[in-house]
Amino acid sequence: MLLRRSKLLLSPSSRAAGHLVCRYFDVIVVGGGHAGTEAAAAAARVGAETLLITQKIKTIGVLSCNPSLGGVGKGHLVREVDALDGLCGRAGDWAGIHFSILNRSKGPAVWGPRAQLDRDRYREFIQSELLSTPRLTVLEGAVEGLLVSEPNPDQPGQIKVTGVRIAGGAQPINAKSVILTTGTFLSGALFMGQTVSQGGRMGDPPSCSGLSHTLRETLGLKIGRLRTGTPPRIVKDTVQLSLTKVCPGDKQPTPFSFLNKETRCKPEEQLPCYLTHTTPGVERVVKEGLHLNAHIQQDTKGPRYCPSIESRVLRFPGREQQVWLEPEGVASDLLYPQGLSMTLPPELQLRLIREIPALKQAEIRTPGYGVQYDFVCPTQLSPSLQVKKAQGLFLAGQINGTTGYEEAAAQGLWAGVSAARAALSLPLLALSRTQSYIGVLIDDLIVQGVTEPYRMFTSRAEFRIVLRSDNADLRLSTRGFEEMGCVSMQRYKEAVRMTDGLRDAMAALESISMSCTKWMEKLGQIHLSKTKSAKLNGLELLEYKDVTFEMLASAFPGCLSAYLEFSKRLKIEGLYRPHYMMQEQEMERVRKDENLSLPQDVDYLTLPISLSMEAREVLDRAKPHTLGAATRLPGITPSAIVHLLNYVRKTDKEREQERVHI
Amino acid sequence: TDRSAVCVRRESDSFAQAQLNLTKNLCCKGIYDADTIFALSSGHGMCGVAVVRVSGPASALVLQSMAGLSRGLPPPRTAVLRNVTDPRSQELLDRGLVLWFPGPRSFTGEDSAEFHLHGGAAVITGVLQALGSVPGVRPAEAGEFTRRAFHAGKLDLTEVEGLGDLIHAETEAQRRQALRQMEGELSRLYQGWSQRLTRSLAHMEAFIDFSEDELIEEGVLNEVDLSVLQLQREIEGHLQDGRRAERLRSGVQAVIAGATNAGKSSFLNLLCQRPAAIVSPTAGTTRDVVETSLNIGGFPVVLSDTAGLRDTGDSVEMEGVRRAKERVQLADVTLVVVDSTQLPQNYQSVQNFLTDHLRSILPNGDDLTASLQRCLLVLNKRDLLSRRTVDGLQKSISQAEGLPLASLLSCQTGDGLDDFLDVFQDRMRTLCGDPLVGSVSLTQARHRCHLQQCVRALSQYHRYRDVDLALAAEGLRLALTSVGRITGKVGAEQILDIIFRDFCIGK
Repeated sequence: MLLRRSKLLLSPSSRAAGHLVCRYFDVIVVGGGHAGTEAAAAAARVGAETLLITQKIKTIGVLSCNPSLGGVGKGHLVREVDALDGLCGRAGDWAGIHFSILNRSKGPAVWGPRAQLDRDRYREFIQSELLSTPRLTVLEGAVEGLLVSEPNPDQPGQIKVTGVRIAGGAQPINAKSVILTTGTFLSGALFMGQTVSQGGRMGDPPSCSGLSHTLRETLGLKIGRLRTGTPPRIVKDTVQLSLTKVCPGDKQPTPFSFLNKETRCKPEEQLPCYLTHTTPGVERVVKEGLHLNAHIQQDTKGPRYCPSIESRVLRFPGREQQVWLEPEGVASDLLYPQGLSMTLPPELQLRLIREIPALKQAEIRTPGYGVQYDFVCPTQLSPSLQVKKAQGLFLAGQINGTTGYEEAAAQGLWAGVSAARAALSLPLLALSRTQSYIGVLIDDLIVQGVTEPYRMFTSRAEFRIVLRSDNADLRLSTRGFEEMGCVSMQRYKEAVRMTDGLRDAMAALESISMSCTKWMEKLGQIHLSKTKSAKLNGLELLEYKDVTFEMLASAFPGCLSAYLEFSKRLKIEGLYRPHYMMQEQEMERVRKDENLSLPQDVDYLTLPISLSMEAREVLDRAKPHTLGAATRLPGITPSAIVHLLNYVRKTDKEREQERVHI
Repeated sequence: TDRSAVCVRRESDSFAQAQLNLTKNLCCKGIYDADTIFALSSGHGMCGVAVVRVSGPASALVLQSMAGLSRGLPPPRTAVLRNVTDPRSQELLDRGLVLWFPGPRSFTGEDSAEFHLHGGAAVITGVLQALGSVPGVRPAEAGEFTRRAFHAGKLDLTEVEGLGDLIHAETEAQRRQALRQMEGELSRLYQGWSQRLTRSLAHMEAFIDFSEDELIEEGVLNEVDLSVLQLQREIEGHLQDGRRAERLRSGVQAVIAGATNAGKSSFLNLLCQRPAAIVSPTAGTTRDVVETSLNIGGFPVVLSDTAGLRDTGDSVEMEGVRRAKERVQLADVTLVVVDSTQLPQNYQSVQNFLTDHLRSILPNGDDLTASLQRCLLVLNKRDLLSRRTVDGLQKSISQAEGLPLASLLSCQTGDGLDDFLDVFQDRMRTLCGDPLVGSVSLTQARHRCHLQQCVRALSQYHRYRDVDLALAAEGLRLALTSVGRITGKVGAEQILDIIFRDFCIGK
């Protein structure tokens, strides 16, 4: 299977700022990380003339932190981004050097597809894709500020963003939509020991101070501060791997992308991960170095889910902590110690890692460091990821308070689709939390806001049985083609073929109905625990642990063998069928409430209806788009909802009557 | 149309409920194994006619299987008189009016049906339980009819301020129980379950989302197993508590029974202090069941007068007698009225006479002892007895063993009524459990239903525990949602919401 069209990288110099012929674009994307690349590619797919501006073209697609993609919850996001024709799934299949499905024993709904990546291959793939995407131009430069003008009075918003200003005196560039994906670069500060320097990533120039100012002062957005960190990189040859537990990848790698039947890396070529543990000595070094650790002493909110080794040993003293040593690439001589993110001074970092037996003689290539950065409180965004106050301005990624490549990619894709649709005067869409993890992610961000870096979990999705990683294509690809316009014909056809194939196969399974006794006679070895008198059909039989589609197909080859290519997916569909039906109905109810939209121009503080002051403030801050979103706001009581709904219904009627009179 | 207008008003009043549920449903997803709902739409217990409403795609199926309409549905929006039977056992539950409202021309816009039944707790409970057994049919959430009507564009939301009307704690005892439930034990009990479930679910979710990155130990699931098992036992135990509080909520069913011309209808009129039933010296005056609601010392009572029991050739009276016997079988208290002038003069034989008499009136068979325990004796026409006879009679009945408590009174003069009321009130208190003293018990059939759902969901946990953790966790989520349907999220400011929910169930 061909994974990538072979393409030559275009020369970056041909796209230098001064040579930019066109100064008007539909969409400008600022930033070339996971959010920015997905955003630019998605906007171009939708049909917008798109410009991606990044500080350095050669850092497009760089994996700034961990060399891996996917995982529990995150794998769902990768699958969904892929189902909408995004890049990261295919890039993962191209660059992966160790594939595994996490949670394999816990049920397909919570499987977490994950891969270790080769950093170089990942970057190459993303760059090659972007630089050959039609309608997409890439420009090297630093954005200093946003161009703004009076808002369009027909739409909500107090100001309109019309383009960007580039550092170095170049002329401004205009666009109908601007997407900011500046990651940790928004007033970013790097911490190592007691040293603090400006920047968003070690080795890159600091940036975006002007942008930060625009957001804060010109647009008046509420800004918060978060922190994150990355571990030191360790020279592989200096590690005593014999003292670690070797963990190979899955025997048969599962690709992320629905378009790929296999990964570039052959099963036997996969590199292992190595598992080791911390010792009491590690804890000692952390405590000794505490006074030298500026990052840890700050009380900025850091991620609870991906904590530094300092926070881990301080919160759970006296425990052995796991440390995964992950490969960084086929040609790389480095290992990435997941779990050892730290901000100690470099000499203490070395002392710390050498407290771990396998790392006793280890050398550090680059030390770990912490980053503090600004984020825009995401409750100021609409479901399209557009800033409510600012027409034409979209935000995606860490700037919205999330953490993780997958979360960034998911938002980037959606911001790209939205920004392009806005620029092309197409109606903006919302992704429902009943349809995708991306929808859950965006709804959580814009309704609840964040108090710490937001990471995806399967437990955030209330319709987990339906929103699975295996069926993301069925949920999103056809819609992505028909409604959103971000999916290619090739993928659309494949998704339709899959949808139809599965539907026909399930109908065929349901058409075979027999008593348990008959089934056992027919299939031989299986054990049906329930001696029900009622008949079971083939699909129901798949609920049983020991029953596979292949077994049924060999018993009824005439009827079923045509569907053998779907056997794995059919097994999962059968397993969840009854629960799926149950959730479907509840999802329908949620969707109905999401369809009751609330006007955006209401002043909740003075609205002449009976609302508590607390409810007014909450509503005023959040300006929920739908009644469904309002119900999820903390502090909104049922009676507030009733009054709100009552008001909206009345206003709707009045508006209707006005229309009639006109 | 008047009645439906009233219903519409009530429904919109309970809209807050709809929204409360909406809120909850969005926070934690609910149990919707089917999409047809039913509820008692009329007030509880205190009315002669109870209206049970069904809405959703299976409404036609309900009518076919419960109202003997398998050959064809009645004309839309036309009342027909049918036997209402339990679809499982074919047992006759009641005979009442049945209406069929095909969508979209119905209150909710969906296919709907209504049952107009006799308003006794036993009948209603029977019908609700039978409905629950029809595949694809479940009890409605509070306000759910309104929601559906709203989504179908059928409802004009006007004033919601009238929510207070829904609070109809007609009697003191109900009010006391409502208060207690709100602030006290039952709420604490449910809250406790809800907290434990939340904890178990959180552990489970943590295990799913985190264990591969370490942090979570394998033992966590074993703890969850234990906790779930324990919870399941507790809830099952709670479900077997004899339903005392439900009885209070709907009113105690008291049935007046006895031979013809014993003065049953006079007794009814005396108790309700108005001529609710026609009385005449002619035997067999009362031919059907006459029902009235009373407040006896703060307890709600639904009192039914029945036809006198005798062999008769009159077909109408025969039906009356049959119904009378049926009522006695379903009663919480049977008040057996005896014409005391018919008692033997020899006081020694009074006991045997009364025992025989009771046997003839109360249901026969193994149930006799139980029936006797549910019975109170009313010896009427005391005014026709001499002073000496009264004294002797009182002495002999107070010494009699194995007889129900007896009161000697006169419906004509009212003599002895107070003594009877004391006895009756004591019995009420035993039946309902003193809401301020007795153990915590269930107040509503709806609670029961949600708790049963909870127990079922917990068994789903066990079923999938070793097969698929996502489905096991789903079981816990469903269980939590079920309990949450009862408790809501109780904060100080939400006490009002809880009152609303408790008082407008099924609306």
